[in-house]
Amino acid sequence: MLIRALSKRPLLASATAVAVAVATLTSVAFATSQPRAARAVQVGQVPLIVYSAQGYDMSEVAAFQKATGIKTELLCDSTGPLLARIAAERNNPQWGLIWVDGNQPFAELDDEGLLVRHYLPSVKFNALGKSLIPSDESYIPTGTTIAATLIYNSAKIKTPPKTFQQLLEPKYKGLLGMNNPSISGPTYPYVSGLMNYLGGVSKGKTFLTELKANGLHVYDVNGDTLNALQTGQIDMATIQSSAIIGALASNPDYRLAFLKGVTLLPSDIGIDRYASKTEIAEAERFTAYVLSKAGQHQMKIGDPTGDSNFWPVVKGGSPKTGVPALSSTHYQEINPYTWGPKESAINDWFTANIVN
Amino acid sequence: MAKLTWAEARSAATAGRPLRLGALGGPALWVLFFLILLAPIAFFLLVAIMPAAADQGTAWFTLAPFIAALSGPTLQGLLDSLVLSVGTAILSLAVALVLAWLVQRTNLRGRGVWNLLVWVVLLTPSFLVALGWERLLQPEGVLADLGWPVSGLSHAFFSPLGVIFVDTTKGVPFAFLAISAALGALGREYEDAARIHGGGRAAALRMVLPILAPAMWSALAIVFAETISDFGVASTIASTSNFPVATMTLFNAVDNFPVNFPVAAAVGWLLVASIGLALFAQSRALRGRSYQVLSGRSRTSARIQLSRRGQSAGIGIMVLFFGLTLGVPAIAVASASLLKPAASAITLNTLTLSNYLALARHPSTLGPLGLSTALALIATTVAVVLGLVVARILTQRRSGTPARILDLLLLATVGLPGILLGAGYIFVYNLPALATVGLRLYGTLFLLDVAYLANSLPITARLLSGPMAQIQFGLHDAARVHGRNALGAWRTTVVPLLSRTLLWAWLFGFTGILFELPISQLLYPPGQEPLSVAITAAFANFSYAPGTTLMVTSVAYALTVVGLVLVGFRVLAPRGWQRVGVAR
Repeated sequence: MLIRALSKRPLLASATAVAVAVATLTSVAFATSQPRAARAVQVGQVPLIVYSAQGYDMSEVAAFQKATGIKTELLCDSTGPLLARIAAERNNPQWGLIWVDGNQPFAELDDEGLLVRHYLPSVKFNALGKSLIPSDESYIPTGTTIAATLIYNSAKIKTPPKTFQQLLEPKYKGLLGMNNPSISGPTYPYVSGLMNYLGGVSKGKTFLTELKANGLHVYDVNGDTLNALQTGQIDMATIQSSAIIGALASNPDYRLAFLKGVTLLPSDIGIDRYASKTEIAEAERFTAYVLSKAGQHQMKIGDPTGDSNFWPVVKGGSPKTGVPALSSTHYQEINPYTWGPKESAINDWFTANIVN
Repeated sequence: MAKLTWAEARSAATAGRPLRLGALGGPALWVLFFLILLAPIAFFLLVAIMPAAADQGTAWFTLAPFIAALSGPTLQGLLDSLVLSVGTAILSLAVALVLAWLVQRTNLRGRGVWNLLVWVVLLTPSFLVALGWERLLQPEGVLADLGWPVSGLSHAFFSPLGVIFVDTTKGVPFAFLAISAALGALGREYEDAARIHGGGRAAALRMVLPILAPAMWSALAIVFAETISDFGVASTIASTSNFPVATMTLFNAVDNFPVNFPVAAAVGWLLVASIGLALFAQSRALRGRSYQVLSGRSRTSARIQLSRRGQSAGIGIMVLFFGLTLGVPAIAVASASLLKPAASAITLNTLTLSNYLALARHPSTLGPLGLSTALALIATTVAVVLGLVVARILTQRRSGTPARILDLLLLATVGLPGILLGAGYIFVYNLPALATVGLRLYGTLFLLDVAYLANSLPITARLLSGPMAQIQFGLHDAARVHGRNALGAWRTTVVPLLSRTLLWAWLFGFTGILFELPISQLLYPPGQEPLSVAITAAFANFSYAPGTTLMVTSVAYALTVVGLVLVGFRVLAPRGWQRVGVAR
């Protein structure tokens, strides 16, 4: 009936025909833009698809392609949209490897059986690196930062806190800012690490509630929190160490302090178990390249005011100039397989009770 | 010769038309709607009750996602969104009526400028407006630096009131466009009739306002749907103002790991249901009446001559509105793009052009702008052609159930945040079954552009349907009687009457796609970043100033395109087209 009704209206039909024709022309115009499997048939090689949220990924991918000749396509975005895309692709994965910060998403992907296991590149990891490798070798650390530690304005705060508990002192009331873990990628590892350090979820919730009562400000992401520090809304903030080190150069009054019990935030690579054998082999070469001397160099120069401020996990590696030694820091590592599955529940609680 | 009745003449005129296009075009249209809108949306919404269908869980039937969506912060977000959207729609309509009346029915000075500025507001990303106000009113923001006592204002702004305010500034242009086309095109005979029969200005207003009902309801529906699906304000002021809204809770479900598409889909259902209610209200209000008042006999209306005081007041209203909506964010954003890294105060020493120079030195950073331009050109052009067809279907009085289904489908698309439409596209067009038959669409620019089209079509059709409802198709039928073929009749009757609205709709679609983010993030092919992804990446890497610079450059570019198209219309379009709907 519907078709008959429309067929009685030639003007509609005509306009539709035009639209369909334009759409067809569009498809012809985009003929060069075919998905990877189709391209693989044409050129006899599978391009490696890299999903990455690292600031240095463009430098790394360019250097890797130059060194190996393997065609590599980079899909560069924040961690959240990349993981959303992987989740949406679940019944037909299109990614080759994913390279983001934080063990927890990898633990989740591993639990779902999406990662290649028992692969380690033939490089020598240092003690820090070895401690970050999971027992089933389903993801590979490429460096580490600290999920959140303290940046403060020394012109306004003369005696900075040394522990998380000291943040509750009245003299710091209304001075502290942090990111929202629901929006900022590195902040859930910070919040879960804090809970782990304080003795569990309920003790962590109590602490955060008290922090809120002491005037905690919550912003979306590192950039917003740093902006609040710059504009004087707050005098100190707990954010990712690499962002702090990048910001130190911008203001001589800014200082970094490692609070006791900070949590490591490694950058990791996980390889898609359902990729073709060729692409898995390419992804393994990419991982080995990242951990090579040349690859580590790219990581150090690719994002000088952000992610490049990391601590290496391979023997013989040294951090970029300006990155303080990690050895004097009292840090912890948390079990991603325990804390990963709690992310949604804890973030929901944070949104309902700390942000609002 | 026997005199033909109108019906006989009409029948005779259409009897000999070629059936070929009708036979092919009708089904093609509905197949197209199915492929670009219904399948992805339906598949996505299905995930709420059948997560296993898209490999998003093991259950083949469950209501758990709805229970989760209707409890705790998600429920609060939904209720907040409803209050916010209704308030914003009503406020936007009220403001737009005043602005549109001033521009369309009076001799207010600078009408061309005000019209253009409405477009500038429309294409300014909502988060920029929010950002500008935040920068102005935050405790050590610009006003505080100048020594102004802003604490009270700041408190009011960082609250639901601030959210409604910024959403209204974004809603007014939608309402303005829906209203002003109708208001400008309305002949003066209705007002004259009221006045001749002894009515005063109030009586004339009482007569004209109901005639504008389709456009007003269209404005309310558009603003409601746009507000309830907005993410720019939700993710900025709303998230820091103790006012969680539905799009933010939905984003949390998708952005947190493990990604929870079923709960996001359940929130999607509830958003669609809200919009269904709005549509129901609109249809109840307009049922059974005809609003076809725009015809070839409509006389262009004479403008009301404002007194000197009236001129001052009118210009004052305009300056106030555009100052609040454009002046503040423009100053904030421009200052951000001109600031040296990490400068916290604006002084001569902290200003620099280095960000713009860097952009000029590395023209490759403008690559995403070129790509997005090409994609927007194609998708918008198709959306306008299809939008014209859809608007006609929606406004036919006897179009029945299919039209209502289509309307709901289109409004659902407006109401569903882009991230859900994008996910729906992945679910459908990344199905392994499609790959086995050689159809690999996911990961292509083609699919990204089709998704842009799907996202743009509903709002385009809504913008067109208000004015379309006012066209008397007797004009078209007369053209057919006199021998024009179907396309020719449309070209010489409907298209001229709608040409200005078509132009506006195209420009809006173009600028919207140029800055579209969530769909781009989920569907862009590796290595081919659209503009919005490039800007976001710059912000995410703490490159605040370069990101802002790219954004300012892109907005300036979009404005240039708008200007060129408007000038092109002035120069190239037939004079008659330009006169339709313009009061003298």
